[in-house]
Amino acid sequence: MSSPNGLICFTNCLLPTEDGSLVEKDLWIDERRGVVLDAQKTFFKRRQRPDRVIDLGGNILSPGYLDIQINGAYGFDFSVYEGDPEAYRNGIKHVAEKIVETGVTSLIPTIITQEKSLYPTLLNLLRPYSSPTSATMLGWHAEGPFIQMAKRGAHAPQFLLPATNGFVSFEEVYGPENLAVQEDWLMACEPQSDHVGIRIITAAPEIVGVSAAMEEATKRGVVFSIGHSIASTDIATAAAIGGARLITHLFNAMPQLHHRDPSIIGLLGASPHLSALLTPTSAPTSPVGTTFPSFGNSHKRVDSGSSLAKRIMAAHGDGGAKATSEAFDDLVTPPMTPVLAPIDTDLGLKKGEVAKMSFERPFYEMIVDGIHSHPNSVRLAYSAYPEGCILITDAMKILDPNLKDGIHEWRDGKRFVKEGDKLYLEGTDTLAGSVVTLEKCVRNFSRFTGCSLGEAIKCATYNPAKCLGIENKKGTLRPGADADLIVLDRKGYVQSTWVKGREVYMRKPSQ
Amino acid sequence: MRLIIRDDATSVGEYIGNYIAKRINDFKPTSDRPFVLGLPTGSSPIPTYKHLIKLVKAGKLSFKHVVTFNMDEYVQLPQDHPESYHTFMFREFFSHVDIPPSQVHILNGNAKDLIGECRAYEATIKSFGGIELFLGGIGEDGHIAFNEPGSSLVSRTRIKTLAYDTILANARFFDGDIAKVPRMALTVGVGTVLDSREVVVVVTGQRKALALSHAIEHGVNHLWTLSALQQHPWALIVADEDATAELKVKTVKYFKSIERVQEEVEAMHARLKDDPSEPEQVGSME
Repeated sequence: MSSPNGLICFTNCLLPTEDGSLVEKDLWIDERRGVVLDAQKTFFKRRQRPDRVIDLGGNILSPGYLDIQINGAYGFDFSVYEGDPEAYRNGIKHVAEKIVETGVTSLIPTIITQEKSLYPTLLNLLRPYSSPTSATMLGWHAEGPFIQMAKRGAHAPQFLLPATNGFVSFEEVYGPENLAVQEDWLMACEPQSDHVGIRIITAAPEIVGVSAAMEEATKRGVVFSIGHSIASTDIATAAAIGGARLITHLFNAMPQLHHRDPSIIGLLGASPHLSALLTPTSAPTSPVGTTFPSFGNSHKRVDSGSSLAKRIMAAHGDGGAKATSEAFDDLVTPPMTPVLAPIDTDLGLKKGEVAKMSFERPFYEMIVDGIHSHPNSVRLAYSAYPEGCILITDAMKILDPNLKDGIHEWRDGKRFVKEGDKLYLEGTDTLAGSVVTLEKCVRNFSRFTGCSLGEAIKCATYNPAKCLGIENKKGTLRPGADADLIVLDRKGYVQSTWVKGREVYMRKPSQ
Repeated sequence: MRLIIRDDATSVGEYIGNYIAKRINDFKPTSDRPFVLGLPTGSSPIPTYKHLIKLVKAGKLSFKHVVTFNMDEYVQLPQDHPESYHTFMFREFFSHVDIPPSQVHILNGNAKDLIGECRAYEATIKSFGGIELFLGGIGEDGHIAFNEPGSSLVSRTRIKTLAYDTILANARFFDGDIAKVPRMALTVGVGTVLDSREVVVVVTGQRKALALSHAIEHGVNHLWTLSALQQHPWALIVADEDATAELKVKTVKYFKSIERVQEEVEAMHARLKDDPSEPEQVGSME
C-alpha cells in the first residue's frame, strides 16, 4: 500500500533521538525518494502533508540498526570464496535480504584473516551494495591479517603477517585499488546515488609497520580499528592519536584491564591529565619530562618494552589457541604506573565541566551476547564512555534466529558448536564469534547496563554511524537521512523493517 | 460579553475545544464555504489545542474545510527556529490535525516587504469573507496578539515593536538572553480581531489576573488592549479560577449567574426546536 502523494506519516510512536531519549513525535518520510522529511518544511514550504498515516500504536520507530562487524549469516560466510563471483554475490544478497528481520538495515561484512592472495578478490566483491528490498552492504571490514599472534582467537596463525614495508605491505595484501583515496574508491564502486561506503581494517598497532601503514590508510578514508592486539597503554594511545577511531570487540582478543598498564581497554578512560601532555608532534621529546607515555621509541623503553615482551611470552607460552580463558592469560604485573612530572595548569572550578582532551577517545565495539563480556564489564565500559559504545554481533554464518543448537560446518574442515548464543570451535572452548542477533544485543545491553531502551538503541544506530562519519545518512532520523527504519515494541522486539521508505519485513502475527 | 469560569487550565481547554468544535460542526463548512478561524500561540491555548486534536482523532471534528489565520509572528526569526510561531503551530497543532497546508496562514516575518506582507494578510482575510471566530490569549499586561499597551484600538495588521515586558517574559524561550529575543513582530491589529464575528479569549493562571480585571471591570483603555473587547457584540472569555483572583466577588457572581441562565435558555430553546408545533425560534440571548 503506497501513499497517493508519496508521503507517509508515522504517528503515535516514540522516536529515539541522538541524545538517547525517546520522544513522542510523528515522523514524515518520502517513500519515493526514500528519505526522512523535515515535516515542518514540508508543511509550510511544499504545502503538503502525508496522504498515508500509519498509527504505530505507541511502538518505537527507530533508525534501522547498523552492524559494523558481522562475519556472515544465514549459512553464508563472507570469508569463504570458492572461485565463483556470482555465487559469492548471491550469498551477499541472501544475507542482505534475510538480515532485515533482525532489525539490521546496514551492515559491514567482515572477513577474518585469509590467505593473502584472496584479499583483493574478496574486497572487490564487497564494494557497497544496496537494493530496494534488502539491507545495505556498506563496504568491508578486514579483520587481519596484521594482527597479534598471541591474540589471534579463531584466526588462522599461518596467515598472520607483519607490515614490514608499511603501507606497501597493506597494498600488497588488500590490493591498491581497495585502498585508494575514498573519493576514487567510491567512484570505482557500482554506480549508486548516495555515495556511502565504508572500509574498516582491524589491526594490532604493535605489529611492525602497522602504525605507519595506518597513518596513510586513515588519510585515504579507511577506518583504523585497534584489535587482536597486546598493545601497551602507550602504543594504544599513540594509535588513537594517530587516528584509530575504533576498538574491535572490546575486552576480547586484547590484554585484560590492568590498573598499572590499562592497555587498549584503558583508552576508554584516557585521562585528560595525560592527554594534556600529548600531541603527536611534541610527545617524543616531551618538554615536561614525563617518562610515560612516549611515542615512536616506546619499544626501546625498558619498562613498557619489557612488559610487552613478557606479555607476548606469557600469551605464547601456553599455546594461544589452547588457552582456557582469556581472562587469565595476562598475569604479568607491570612494576609501577608511570612517573609523571607535575603539571601546573589551572584546575577546573565548574562542576560537570570536564577538561579538554587533545585527542578523541576511540569508539569501541561490544558483543553484548552475555558470553563475550560479563554484564558488569559491559556496564563498566559503557559508564566510562557512553558516547563511544557500539553494539556489534560479530556473528558467524550460522547466525539465523531460526537455527537449532548443535554442530555446524564452518570452513577448512573446522566445525562450530552452537549452544544458545554461545559458539565454540569444536573440540575447544575458544569462542568463535557469536550467533546473537543485534536486536537481542540491544535488549541485553539495556538490561546489563540499566540504561533506557533509547540509549541502547543509540549504541546500534547513531554511535556506529558517527564513528563512520555517515550520521547524516544512516543511524539517525535527521531530515535527509535514508528512511531505513524499524518498528520495535516497547520490549525491543522488531515488528517491521523499512529500507529507503519501503517496508521490507513484517513480523508474522503468529510469532 | 460572557465570562465562563472553570476550575483549571485543562477544563478551560476542554470547554473552549468543545465550543469551537460545536461552532465548526454547526457551521457545516464546505470547500466553497470554509469556516475561517483565527488562532493564537503561547502557553494558554495549548490545552485547547490538545482537546481539539483529541476531537479530531476521535472523528468528532475535522479541519478539512477550515481556513486558519494566525495572530502574529516574530520578525527575522527563521521559520524553523524552535521559538518561531510557525514551529509552535506545527508542533502543537497543525501536524496533529487534518488541515490541508494550503489553508493555513501565518504572517511571514522574513518577508522583504513587511508592510506589503501585512497589507496582503488583511486582504487575504477579506477574500475569505472575514474571520468567523478568533481565538486569542492575553499577556500579563493585557495585550491581545502583539498589540502592546498603548496600541491603537482600531489598529490593523502591522509591524510592532515588542514592549520591554514582553521581551523579558519571552527571554526564557531564548536561553534567558534578552539580546536574543526578537525586537519586532508582525501582528494583526485590535481592529482586525474586533472585525471577526466572534472572539473567544482564554485567560488562565494567576499571573493574568490583573489583566483580566482591567479587561472587564475597568473602562475601554488602550493600555489594556483586551478591554476593547467590551465593544464587541459577540465575545466570550473563558478563565480558570486562578485568573479571577483580582476580580470582584460581585463580578464573578454576575457572570456565573449569566452562565446558569444561558444554560436554562439554551435547554428551553432546544426543547422548542424539537417541538414541531412551535414556530422556529430566531436569535440568541446575546
